Amino acid sequence: MPSPTLQYAYFPGCVAQGACRELYLSTEAITRALNIQLIELKKAACCGSGTYKEDSQLLEDTVNARNIALAESLNLPLLTHCSTCQGVIGHVDERLKEAKEKEPAYFQQVNGFLKQEGCSPYRGSTEIKHLLWVLVGDYGLEALAERVTQSLTGLNCAAFYGCYLLRGQKTLPHDDPLNPESMENIFRTLGANPVYYRGRTQCCGWPISSYATKESFSLAGRHLMEAIAAGADCLVTPCPLCHLNLDSRQPEIEKVIGGKLGIPVLHLPQLVGLALGIKPEELGLDKHIVPVGSLLSKLRAS
Amino acid sequence: MEVIFKIVRQQPKGLPKLQSYRLEVEGRNTILECLNRIKWEIDGSLAFRKNCRNTICGSCTMRINGRSALACKENVGSEISRFPQVNSTNLPEITIAPLGNFPVIKDLVTEMKSFWDNLEAIDPYVSTQGRNIPEREFLQTPKERSQLEASGNCILCGACYSECNAREVNPDFVGPHALAKAQRMVKDSRDSQKEERLDRYKQGIEGVWGCTRCYMCNEVCPMEVQPMDRIGEIKQEILARNNHGASRPIRHRKVLVDLVKAGGWVDERKFGIQVVGNYFRDLQGLMSLAPLGLRMIAKGKFPLTFEASEGTQEVRSLIESVKESYEG
Repeated sequence: MPSPTLQYAYFPGCVAQGACRELYLSTEAITRALNIQLIELKKAACCGSGTYKEDSQLLEDTVNARNIALAESLNLPLLTHCSTCQGVIGHVDERLKEAKEKEPAYFQQVNGFLKQEGCSPYRGSTEIKHLLWVLVGDYGLEALAERVTQSLTGLNCAAFYGCYLLRGQKTLPHDDPLNPESMENIFRTLGANPVYYRGRTQCCGWPISSYATKESFSLAGRHLMEAIAAGADCLVTPCPLCHLNLDSRQPEIEKVIGGKLGIPVLHLPQLVGLALGIKPEELGLDKHIVPVGSLLSKLRAS
Repeated sequence: MEVIFKIVRQQPKGLPKLQSYRLEVEGRNTILECLNRIKWEIDGSLAFRKNCRNTICGSCTMRINGRSALACKENVGSEISRFPQVNSTNLPEITIAPLGNFPVIKDLVTEMKSFWDNLEAIDPYVSTQGRNIPEREFLQTPKERSQLEASGNCILCGACYSECNAREVNPDFVGPHALAKAQRMVKDSRDSQKEERLDRYKQGIEGVWGCTRCYMCNEVCPMEVQPMDRIGEIKQEILARNNHGASRPIRHRKVLVDLVKAGGWVDERKFGIQVVGNYFRDLQGLMSLAPLGLRMIAKGKFPLTFEASEGTQEVRSLIESVKESYEG
């Protein structure tokens, strides 16, 4: 086990505290099992999921500078477990670190707002890391392999990365945005087989689902069908917004594409949790719209 | 070194098939140079578009190792190191296919009619009044000009359109190239049709609201136009001029900010009711959410409670002062 204990300022995000509570539960469960310490940012606020920026860049930068400053006050890296939160906050951090050098007036403007409201200033002294990157980079795949008690042998897993995780930031620590492997490397480490298909790096359709439902669901539908055709037993995603569209809306997606799907979609920490021997209920696997029974019986049989 | 070029070939109305060509090349050779050699030395029937060889004309766009790029810009060495794949005899392979979202005419040549029609649809010219020749030259400050810089770089190569996720499922969406050009018109200080343009670009899902923010256009653009960012700039202008009632896509954005001000985090129950149900005014919209709500309740997935962030007051005040600084 890596030592000293890994510690992070944990940014839970909206969805894990709302419609994907099972993500909150499973992140909590696996970090406890792996002895990764999380200090939850109770005063943090929604990253805006790319929507603040449609109002103004300044709004996205200022609200997220405050979020980052909360982690900086603890002298800890900020942990996300949502592709969208990661892409948004990670990019704000990149942009403000650059502004500190090249656009000091803008940097001062952002910090001026924070000061005016009594928030700690943004310093640019920490890092923003998705749980996926923490597992691959900080904890390490070898260390993770040592903790696997229930190898996921025979399970065919199709990654669904989420746009913001791959393309929201200028630079990624472990992946080529056009040819990522982090998720697949985790699958192999857990004993599962990665399934490759074009959709793994594409959009789930969530951002337009409130007003362009048919288009949103047909986008999701083609990825799900493609993953099934490639032999996947389940999809695994590091993004709860993708999960909402791919799992919760699967009955509507089936209607739009006119075919049966019924493929379970797991959150990344749920898959890791199963391999660590954590009970499915503790990972919230009973809270899915598409039942995961088929997958659990396949694991029990192997 | 020896490299295998796996090229997706297609006859008019035929099915696509893979054909491999083996070539002795150097790492610095561009993909276009390799294709020229295949055509000139091995197989004269291979069809592809090309012209300037210098990343200016935008003719030779194709899918190289899975993503749309200019064949004259990418070279063998970087392709092999970025997308390592080898064939059965251990030779490096590079896969080349026609653009996505375009019908194929032959091999790597695609039918680009919808691309040009969609560009035309956004009225890609500085408005007539702006085009009248004044007594002296048009004056534009460096700051005004700088807003046109990124979209002005567009060479209309089609890479963004080819990878656009929204285009795959929405034939009405005009595409990132057209909306990047639209931004160039909206921000041009000489254009006199700004308000009319903004009214058009906000309609339905053929304009800016059709974008799914998949970032693919930004990812593949060879000229740093960053179309998604340009689309975002049009959205900023639209959101500044419209209120919640204007349309569901606009309400989606406004309500998100409202809810963060109210609770720090987004209360998803209220998000659904306010955005889709238009605060109980749109009963059909509300009813469309009912099956989702019921199945979430059945699975214990429905958020019955909402816990506001402990920093709600601070965030609300922060958002208000930031917005006041530009909204006044």
